[in-house]
Amino acid sequence: MKQVSSPQRPQPGTRNVGRGARILVATLLIVSALVTTLYVGLSLYIATQLVYVPQTPLYATPAKFGMQFRNVTFPSRVDQVQLKGWFIPGMLPNGKLTAQRTIIMVHGNRTNRADKDAGLLQLSVDLAQHGFAVLAFDMRGTGESPPAPLSLGYFEQRDVLGAVDFLKSGTPPYPELGRPRGIAGWGVSMGAATLLLATAQEPAIRAVVSDCAYADIAPLLEREVPKGGHLPSFFTPGALRAVQALYGIDYYSVRPLDIVASIAPRPIYFIHGDQDGFIPHSNMTELAAAAQTAPNARVQTWLVPGADHAKSFFVEGQTYVNNVVAFYTQALGPDTSAA
Amino acid sequence: MASSSAGSEGSEGATRQQAASPNDVVRGVLSGLIPLGLLLVVVIITLLLAALARQLLSASGFFAQQQAAVIILAAGLIVTIIVYAIACMRALRRVAKWQQAGLVARSRAALCALGLTALVVLLPVLLALVLPQHPAP
Repeated sequence: MKQVSSPQRPQPGTRNVGRGARILVATLLIVSALVTTLYVGLSLYIATQLVYVPQTPLYATPAKFGMQFRNVTFPSRVDQVQLKGWFIPGMLPNGKLTAQRTIIMVHGNRTNRADKDAGLLQLSVDLAQHGFAVLAFDMRGTGESPPAPLSLGYFEQRDVLGAVDFLKSGTPPYPELGRPRGIAGWGVSMGAATLLLATAQEPAIRAVVSDCAYADIAPLLEREVPKGGHLPSFFTPGALRAVQALYGIDYYSVRPLDIVASIAPRPIYFIHGDQDGFIPHSNMTELAAAAQTAPNARVQTWLVPGADHAKSFFVEGQTYVNNVVAFYTQALGPDTSAA
Repeated sequence: MASSSAGSEGSEGATRQQAASPNDVVRGVLSGLIPLGLLLVVVIITLLLAALARQLLSASGFFAQQQAAVIILAAGLIVTIIVYAIACMRALRRVAKWQQAGLVARSRAALCALGLTALVVLLPVLLALVLPQHPAP
């Protein structure tokens, strides 16, 4: 009887091979699960750190420079985030106030509408003194605007579009000055990239000054995330995908390079410091080249000697103001309210 | 006698192996892929829940949104690990039973599918390691 039943069982050697195979597969399953869990867990942690930036208070208001201004609040486009800002009327040589030509000022990462490091408030005041009204506002998650994840332009472009909507159809902060006849934008670093993304969607923005914008955020993140997290660079793709799962932000789609040509025929003035160690000036070269692929492109570039990241205004001072004012005057035409 | 008996067992085993129908292999593969299938289902449900929570809490502000998304993803990760571990243990037990019953083709197919599962689970890490990142400008 034994002789009959035993052939159905595998040989002892086969049994050992079978057991060995099971152990090998079990080990593979355990190791892969552990490694991937660790990778996913750390990626989620990095993601939460990557998007949260503590909000910094405003260091001053336009009043510090003797300028008139009014506080404004307006919603972003699409998701209606309530954004805070200043509307500074332009001042004509005869002392008359004007809002005919309005510049939307877009600040960079980890700062606000006053942005001392890039001189945003000082430049806003300079532009207002040259007859351009200025709308400077805190993008979501910065200054006095509500907390929000830092999306490096992905969501912030809605804030710029909200600023345009506010100028076109919101309650005018100075009703006696009427609505702007021409709207243009100035942006620095992340603000410049965001402004380019918004301008491609909004024809009301008639001219753009882009100071040290990035052409594509992914290479910068792949360089910066490992530095910040003290982790190997292969965690970056996981962290960026974790950001997408947690916050719906697709950093890989933040590529002004892809849309900059669609801004034509509206003029773009690219400015970049040649000593920029954070966003190398090759980004400007790439952006300008891409913008010029449009048949009716109007592109100007200015490589500022000796300027580090977002420092062109400080390095060039009055020359910077004069160049930007000349660009806006050409794009928007002269102010006619004095006539 | 012993050697003759072993030879007889071997030839019988080989016969069983040859006699294994394609159905046997398919059944083994499907059984081995159950942990991967469950893993994918739980991951997809977790991601959908996180997206839903983000939408539902969009008016409550960033911190509420973040808290909800982190809780859902962390809970999803834990549930995924538990479901995956249980499914893998069950699959391996099933393989052991098949091996004892001499169902070599079926057990081999299941083990191959489980090995493939391990590879797929490791794939995100492998891709992150192997694929080139964007060249710095």
